[in-house]
Amino acid sequence: MASRVALVSFLLLLAAAPAMSTNYEGEALQALRARLSDPSNALQSWNPSLVNPCTWFHVTCDVRNRVIRLDLGNSNISGPLAPELGRLQDLQYLELYGNNFEGKIPEELGNLKSLISMDLYGNRLEGEIPKSFAKLKSLRFLRLNNNKLSGSIPRELVTLSNLKVFDVSNNDLCGTIPIDGPFATFPIQSFGNNSRLNGPELQGPVPYDFGC
Amino acid sequence: MENIQNNSMRLALSVLSTLLVTACGDASTNSEALLQIKSEFIDLEGVLSNWSLGGGDICSWNGVACLASRSHVLGLNLSGHGLSGSISSKMGSLVSLQTLDLSSNSLTGAIPPELGLLKNLRELFLYSNSLSGPIPPELGLLKKLKILRIGNNGLSGEIPPHLGSCTELEILGLASCQLNGTIPKEMGNLKHLKSLNLQNNRLGGLIPPELGGCGELQVLSAAANRLEGGIPSTVGGLNALQILNLMNNQLSGSIPIELGNLSSLTYLNLLGNRLSGAIPPELNQLRQLQILDLSDNDLSGAIDLSTRHLNSLEYLVLSKNSLHGGIDENLCPESASLRNLFLAENNLTGTMEGLLNCASLRSLDLSNNSLSGSIPSDIDRLANLVDLVLHNNSLVGVLPPQVGNMSDLEMLSVFHNGLTGEIPAEIGRLQRLTLLYLYENQMAGTIPRELTNCSRLEEIDFFGNHFTGPIPETMGRLENLVVLQLRQNELSGPIPPSLGYCRRLQALALADNQLSGALPRTLGFLAELRLVTLYNNSLEGPLPESVFRLKNLAIINFSHNRFAGSISPLLGSRALAKMDLTNNSFSGAIPPVLGEARNLTRLRLGRNLLSGTVPAEVGRLEGLGFLDLSSNNLTGGIPLELSECRQLTHLLLGGNRLTGTIPRWFGSLRSLGELDLSSNDFRGDVPAELGNCSGLLKISLHDNRLSGIIPPEMGRLTSLNVLALQRNHLSGPIPSAIQHCDKLYELRLSDNFLSGWIPPELGQLTELQVVLDLSRNHLSGGIPPSLGHLIKLERLDVSFNRLQGPIPPSLERLTSLHQLNLSNNLLQGPIPAALSNFPSSSFLGGNQLCGAPLASCTPLSGSDAKRLSNAQVAGITAAIAFVSAAVCLVLLYIIIRMWSDWREVSVSNSDGEEQEANQENKWRGDGSQKVGRRYWRVHSMCVAAASPDDKRSSTSEACILRQIMQVDKLVGASQVL
Repeated sequence: MASRVALVSFLLLLAAAPAMSTNYEGEALQALRARLSDPSNALQSWNPSLVNPCTWFHVTCDVRNRVIRLDLGNSNISGPLAPELGRLQDLQYLELYGNNFEGKIPEELGNLKSLISMDLYGNRLEGEIPKSFAKLKSLRFLRLNNNKLSGSIPRELVTLSNLKVFDVSNNDLCGTIPIDGPFATFPIQSFGNNSRLNGPELQGPVPYDFGC
Repeated sequence: MENIQNNSMRLALSVLSTLLVTACGDASTNSEALLQIKSEFIDLEGVLSNWSLGGGDICSWNGVACLASRSHVLGLNLSGHGLSGSISSKMGSLVSLQTLDLSSNSLTGAIPPELGLLKNLRELFLYSNSLSGPIPPELGLLKKLKILRIGNNGLSGEIPPHLGSCTELEILGLASCQLNGTIPKEMGNLKHLKSLNLQNNRLGGLIPPELGGCGELQVLSAAANRLEGGIPSTVGGLNALQILNLMNNQLSGSIPIELGNLSSLTYLNLLGNRLSGAIPPELNQLRQLQILDLSDNDLSGAIDLSTRHLNSLEYLVLSKNSLHGGIDENLCPESASLRNLFLAENNLTGTMEGLLNCASLRSLDLSNNSLSGSIPSDIDRLANLVDLVLHNNSLVGVLPPQVGNMSDLEMLSVFHNGLTGEIPAEIGRLQRLTLLYLYENQMAGTIPRELTNCSRLEEIDFFGNHFTGPIPETMGRLENLVVLQLRQNELSGPIPPSLGYCRRLQALALADNQLSGALPRTLGFLAELRLVTLYNNSLEGPLPESVFRLKNLAIINFSHNRFAGSISPLLGSRALAKMDLTNNSFSGAIPPVLGEARNLTRLRLGRNLLSGTVPAEVGRLEGLGFLDLSSNNLTGGIPLELSECRQLTHLLLGGNRLTGTIPRWFGSLRSLGELDLSSNDFRGDVPAELGNCSGLLKISLHDNRLSGIIPPEMGRLTSLNVLALQRNHLSGPIPSAIQHCDKLYELRLSDNFLSGWIPPELGQLTELQVVLDLSRNHLSGGIPPSLGHLIKLERLDVSFNRLQGPIPPSLERLTSLHQLNLSNNLLQGPIPAALSNFPSSSFLGGNQLCGAPLASCTPLSGSDAKRLSNAQVAGITAAIAFVSAAVCLVLLYIIIRMWSDWREVSVSNSDGEEQEANQENKWRGDGSQKVGRRYWRVHSMCVAAASPDDKRSSTSEACILRQIMQVDKLVGASQVL
């Protein structure tokens, strides 16, 4: 009986999974492009009629034609980040630094389960660092510095055991800095110039956090 | 207000002056006036030829109607007479005129203000000309005017409020001009107005509530303007109104409940506005309403309309709103007159069961909602349905077999739902079916052969399901088929040869299946075929020659199959725009005829077995953007003609056997973004002209025989992401100008003959991430401390060079680094602490480095001992010690043997023994004399250095330590031993 329930729920899960359409990853990238302003025509080669986005410039695929890199650093792009980016299940490198990306970081980016590096530094992103980033178990490099991010550093990120580099300097974060997990090794400069950030959290019998 | 007063003043003045003029001209006859009018027309068809003084009584002139007394001209009707030219101001002198009809000509110029003098005028028709300029306010003087139709002209300016003085007006037509401004509130004075048509102008502002004064209004259309604000509730007071059309404006606010009072209304169209709020239930009172279109607004709430009340309703269009809730039975409680129901693009939920009473329905569009549940098995109660459109919902369950009973069905679109199960065989009964969209569902099973009974089918799209088994071999019975899209299923077996009978087929998409076998010869009959995509199947064999006959082929994608033989059958079409044959086994040459496909923008022939040269004819493809010939067996050079392909963005020729030099004209390919010439046999230098291709993102020239320097012009490629020049014969320094390529994330220069220092400017490439590989060159000098700025770098390899000096402490800042190779250089000094986590292999070989992971830099006993004390190298030390000990023992043994031999010789001098000793020496490859001391000197410094007294204990530490210094030499020696 239990196994039947399990089977049914598995089938349900399958059904709920988005259908892989004609150009599923390409469509996700097009969703990004649709909301962007691209005065330097960096995205000109993004032809939606192609079978996959693998020959688009600034997109790199693996041998299975799955997108593994998106390189749009310093490309004079402005606009919001599309939640659809979270669909790029094999993406390893999300390099969007040095543009004018604005608005919030979509929590859907937490679905990028293969992500190794997320470089969103040097943009105009605001709002909080999504708690969903705690799901990025492969993540080694997270650079969010030089934005307008606010709120506290999600405690959930201490579970990212592979995280090697974490830089949130030059934002508007508040609260205290976690000290567990990989946070034990990050230099204090990684948190610099966040005027409302209080320093490392103090741990005791009662969790101590001023909040924001 | 002041404006209007001013205008009235001016109007009064101008009227006075005109009156004067007419008074003076009163003596002149109507005939003179008519001749003047004629003179300003251009009458190409000669319809006014009898308008002449000798032409008799003016009342007999064409188009002129007189009073019985023949004293006055009553009417002038020149409609549709092909007249051009302008309307004379003399028209104003025909004061007795009651009807003036100049409609449907090609008249230009302005409407003369003098028409305002025609105070007996009852009907004025100037519509459908090319008149321009404003509507003269003087028309407001025409107090008897009942009909004013001047639309479909180029009239501009505002609607003069003075028209509100024409209180007898019944019909006012100002549509399809370029009128701007607002609708004057004075329109509300037109108490007898029955029809007001202002549509298709540029009118803005609010709809004046005063319009409610037009109590006899039957038709009100102000569609396709720029009207704003709400719909005034006074419109609800227009009791006689039958047609209300306000579509395509910018009206906002809610729909006034008063519209429910319009008991005569048959047509209500508010589509394409910004109306919000709920649909007022009061609309249910509109018993006469036949057409209701509220689509493309921001309406929300539930649909609270019912055909129980709206019993005349035939069209109900509520698509493109934000309507919520379910479709309950109340909408269509019993068989009603409703024939067309469009509720697409809302947020409707629940099932579609509630609609099954709408037996008169012919078109039902519920697409793009959030409907759930299944398609009811008694869907066939909608027996008259022609179009059933349910796509983009969350419907589950099967496509019920009862669909087969809906014999009028022409369009069945259920794509992008969660439907499961098989296609019912009963579908074959739908003799009128033209379009069947099942794509993006979870349907499975085989495609029933009965489907091919639907002989009117034009479009089949089953993309993205789980259909298995073969494509029905009777497919050819669908003679009207235009589109066959079966992509991304699990279909197997061959492509049925009968497809050749589908003569109208334009798109054949069978990609992403498990199809096998050869391409049937009959495909050559599909003369209208434009698109064939067969990629990702297991199709094989040579292509049939007949395919060459397909002259309309524009898009071909056969990639990832097992096709073999020549590609020439695919080159019969000059319409070819995109061709992708990647990853097959095509062989033979690339046919020069390819150059005839002048529309070709994308050509991918990579990963095949093509041989011969790159044909010069490719250069005729001026629109070519993507050329991929990589991983074939191509030989020869890059033809000069290719320089004509100025649109090239991708040029991928890697993995062939191409020879010659990299042409300088590459510098003229200004659109180039990716250049891959890797793994060929190119010689000569890297042309400096490449620096002109400023859009280059990726350059792969690795694995060739390129020589010369890396041109400093590379520094002009400021967009460059990847530069791969490894495994060539490049020499000279690394140009410091490369610092300007500040978007580089991958830089590979390894396995060349590069010399000189590593330019400190490399430290400015702060986006370097994947790798910086300078290994296996002749680089000298120190590691520049600036490399410490490469904080994103994950791999750094400078091994096998001649780098000297210390490891700069700044490298400790490379926090992203997870592979480091500094080995086999001449580096010295301590390893920075933060690098101690890298394995010792990152540092060994030639270097004289110390500290973790190598031996500690702290001295132990002697200077040599420094590097030995660390436990981490104890294993290696032990191994080396063991080898050394063994060597030394062997040598000791030899010494002892020789010494004893020598002693023996000196005692007995046996020839045989001496010979043996010589042989032993020869075997050691050395030819040294049997004299012990000299032998040692040649073979081992360590033993030689040891005092003769220590010979017996040659495993001494000092000996081993020296040997560590020369690990390679010793290991080599021991192998020889």
